[in-house]
Amino acid sequence: MKVELFYTPGCEKCADARDDLKAAAEQTIPGIVWRELNALDELDYAVKLGVVTLPALAIDGELVFSTLPTSGQLRRALTKRKKG
Amino acid sequence: MQLTIGKIANLAHVSADTLRYYERERLIKPAAKSAGGYRLYERDALRRIRFIKQAQECGFNLAEIRSLLALRASDAACCRDVRHVALEKKLQLEAKIKAMKAMSDALSRLIKECSVDSESLDDCPILAALERSNGVKRRSR
Repeated sequence: MKVELFYTPGCEKCADARDDLKAAAEQTIPGIVWRELNALDELDYAVKLGVVTLPALAIDGELVFSTLPTSGQLRRALTKRKKG
Repeated sequence: MQLTIGKIANLAHVSADTLRYYERERLIKPAAKSAGGYRLYERDALRRIRFIKQAQECGFNLAEIRSLLALRASDAACCRDVRHVALEKKLQLEAKIKAMKAMSDALSRLIKECSVDSESLDDCPILAALERSNGVKRRSR
């Protein structure tokens, strides 16, 4: 499974939440791939996934959160996806 | 020197009605009113009007422009805050372009299907395809 966090360079909100979210993802799904994508550099991919606000978070190439989730929300989304 | 609405509108290449509209939308306001009740603007307002016009040309709506003007005036804001707003707007524009491209491609396919000019409307493949996509069966006339 893969989590992608789209952010704007210099976004303090993203930096503050990033470590907690990453830890929550790794605890929920051991070995999960965590990617942080500068939306400026990955504009085409962001558009492809439907990202229109930042920060945003995608799971396995699907936009799931158009604002930063809480750790609990991310855990629930990952668990639900894992169960299929 | 203060400028009348006609004078500043002329300098900014907008109409006086546009400036009154901007005022209703709380984007600009006159510095004062003359004894006769005419709006008077400081020369600095010209920069603000040009800023608004330029932002509109970049696709920002008036509410977004209000936010940009607030950022511009805020001591706490910095360039990256504006970049964040600009990047979100670009993402929105790119999403619209993508959607419009898909619409254009869909129309190209329909136009290609319709190659006979004199076919009756009942046999028109474009109308048939549009109705199919709504799950509606065409009624024969």
